[in-house]
Amino acid sequence: MKKSRESIFKNKLVLAVIAELLILVVAGILEPGFFHVEYNATTGMLYGSLVDIVNRSAEITIIAMGMTMVIALGGTDISVGALVAVSGAFALKLLRWDVTLYPTPGDYTIAPFFLVILVPLLICTAMGLFNGVLIGKFKLQPIIATLILMVAGRGIAQIATNGKQFTTGYTPYRFIGQGSLLGLPFPIIITIVICAAVMIFVRKTAFGTFVESVGVNPNASRVTGLKSDRIIIIVYTLTGFLSGVAGLIYSSRISSCDSNNAGVNYEMDAILAVVLGGTSMTGGKFSLAGTIVGSLIIRTITTLVYYFGITSESIMAFKAVIIAVVIIFQSEPVGKWLATRQARKQKAGELRG
Amino acid sequence: MQGIEIQFPGVKALDGVDFTLRRGEVHALLGENGAGKSTLIKCLTGVNKMDAGKIVLEGKEIRPTDPKNAMDLGISTVFQEINLCDNLSVAENIFIGRQPMRRGQINWKEINRRSQELLERFHIHIDVTRPLAQYSTAIQQMVSIARAVDVDAKVLILDEPTSSLDNEEVQRLFAVMRDLKKQGMGIIFITHFLDQVFEMSDRLTVLRNGHLVGVYNASEITKLELVSSMIGKDLDEIFDLKRASIKKDAPVALEADHIGAPGKVEDISFTQQKGELLGFAGLLGSGRTETAEMIFGVTRMQDGTLKIDGHTVKINEPMDAIHHKIAFCPEDRKRDGIIGDLTIRENIALALQARRGMLRPMSRKEQDDLSNKYIKMLSIATPDAEKKIRELSGGNQQKVILARWMATEPNLLILDEPTRGIDVGAKAEIQRLMLQMCEDGMSIIFISSELDEIIRCSNRIIVMCDGKKAGELNGEGCTQADIMRMIAGEKDGETA
Repeated sequence: MKKSRESIFKNKLVLAVIAELLILVVAGILEPGFFHVEYNATTGMLYGSLVDIVNRSAEITIIAMGMTMVIALGGTDISVGALVAVSGAFALKLLRWDVTLYPTPGDYTIAPFFLVILVPLLICTAMGLFNGVLIGKFKLQPIIATLILMVAGRGIAQIATNGKQFTTGYTPYRFIGQGSLLGLPFPIIITIVICAAVMIFVRKTAFGTFVESVGVNPNASRVTGLKSDRIIIIVYTLTGFLSGVAGLIYSSRISSCDSNNAGVNYEMDAILAVVLGGTSMTGGKFSLAGTIVGSLIIRTITTLVYYFGITSESIMAFKAVIIAVVIIFQSEPVGKWLATRQARKQKAGELRG
Repeated sequence: MQGIEIQFPGVKALDGVDFTLRRGEVHALLGENGAGKSTLIKCLTGVNKMDAGKIVLEGKEIRPTDPKNAMDLGISTVFQEINLCDNLSVAENIFIGRQPMRRGQINWKEINRRSQELLERFHIHIDVTRPLAQYSTAIQQMVSIARAVDVDAKVLILDEPTSSLDNEEVQRLFAVMRDLKKQGMGIIFITHFLDQVFEMSDRLTVLRNGHLVGVYNASEITKLELVSSMIGKDLDEIFDLKRASIKKDAPVALEADHIGAPGKVEDISFTQQKGELLGFAGLLGSGRTETAEMIFGVTRMQDGTLKIDGHTVKINEPMDAIHHKIAFCPEDRKRDGIIGDLTIRENIALALQARRGMLRPMSRKEQDDLSNKYIKMLSIATPDAEKKIRELSGGNQQKVILARWMATEPNLLILDEPTRGIDVGAKAEIQRLMLQMCEDGMSIIFISSELDEIIRCSNRIIVMCDGKKAGELNGEGCTQADIMRMIAGEKDGETA
């Protein structure tokens, strides 16, 4: 009896995994070298397209962890991309302070390293809190509330860096996005730690259930004693923090900050990752594992397209096609159709048996 | 319709049920919760697909694919839950999807004029250009009926149309129904109010557990026979309820001293002893629900003081009330009660989990034990606890909500219309349960529009009128007439 429910819940996750595998198979057929993974002894790091996919999906995966719960609450957060820029800008500001005083980038930092990490994260967390208060306390529509920082965030990033693009050569900072640990690129390690932490927080406490409950029926949740505004604030604040982490990884990868281009379209990718993972935009039940797979799908497509030398301008079109297929497969009518087909087959099988 | 059969996994919802509706008759469809009434209707209107059987309308076999299609075929439905768009105007709601056009544009004048006319047949005089949300539930209900009637229907299905109407409004609806009947329309009337069944219907079809029990002529069956055919039990067992016995020296559990929220209710004072069942009677909108919401912190209490066990308490939000061991089953189950997409288990565990706080989660085993215990205790009809609550019938949803609050082991339980829209059997079960809980020392505030159940169960009755307390009566020896007199403002009898 329990099977029926779990198969519905797992179905979408299974579908997402199948989709990811299919895309990988296509890649493997077209380019046999696609699955080649190599250990480079001098750098101590694994190389190959697969490692690359997981590595490069880190930013979106991390943001999408928060976005999953934002969407489960029936909301959306379109400020995450701008927060990525904010985070990078403040990190580089602290590393270089003022380019007129320290004109050449090099292996140095002006502020202590822990502040370089801490301050951007705090600022992004505060911005997430701002979103949460607007939505939870002032009951603004999420898309409107987060639009404020989507627009203002990049402006704040510009102000922090006086509109300049800083570059850094500071080794510890570059390690975040470019270093490796246990043979894995460091962003993968960060992603694993963050995903595990979020999952434990959500599923080992009652927080996940509360989020789902508020997402499905805020009125009834309130009458049942849940403080829905507080839950909303926590979720958006967490998403702000996670965007900050993603921003550090991104800016460390390019050893620089770029307020105009950092995190562009990340909100869309994060929302897509969540939806691909099987969480409904209408709120309610959510799946963090699904989101991780969703993020991998997006990155696999991107990598695939780059790998075959297709111009980056056409990437969006490719993504759109594949994502449309996956989402249509997960849609309710198709799911029902599949279910009835399966039931019919089972019935036929029973009759024969 | 002949031999409709439909299956749901786990529960066989309908099994070989025949149903015939004649032209120009009102045919009542009766049965307990989960008997298959709603399922039958859903088959008729194309919401659910039938596995077997066929529907014949005027000699032709039809297969409605969805409600719109059914409506085009001549089967119009007013569902139990109001399905209207709150923020559209009344007229827009009536004509949505079939707006009269003039030169390629919507003819607003026509829409508004015809809506006005239509509602005047119901003796409703409102401004049809204003948003529907501005009007009461009763008006909204009438609007949805008006909409269903206006399309050229051969069959009109009314699923619990009277549950949110007061007596006068019910009579208005009946007048309209008689009118439609004369025009040759066949009406399927689903209700739990047996008096209304006998008042309105020509024939009755009774379902039980997805099976057909029988078809009767309304004039040839007694109420008693009908009820026992619906539930298949002896009646004595059902109506043998005894009021809770309160000890003389039972301490005062709750004391409300001139509490109020201006604009909603004002100046309400009462006391309640431990183990007492306190009934709240009054018309729709008299302030019963608002008083309950104020005690529970859903509505902010602005005046007066509330004492629990002799201590003044401040309740700003539901969580505060829960910490003071108060529980509240709200009137609007769909809006304030169920969390539709979550399972029965999660719904039952939610209030207790909310009180324990986020950081002390209940283990899966605790949740399973809790939900299984209450599924058994309240005989909730479900294959298991992992079914989504929105897939249950109304009465079973109500039981889940009740279970949610019983799980918190409250000292004071507020039940706002707990028996609305559920059948005689489940009603009696819930009443018995309330009285049992009172015997065990719980205090209960019981709000209901049905005077007979209030009188049957309550130790004392508080009568509300126009946002104020009209008076107080003893449950013992009180009659419906006493309550109605008090509502009407005749100051005889004992007023507090």
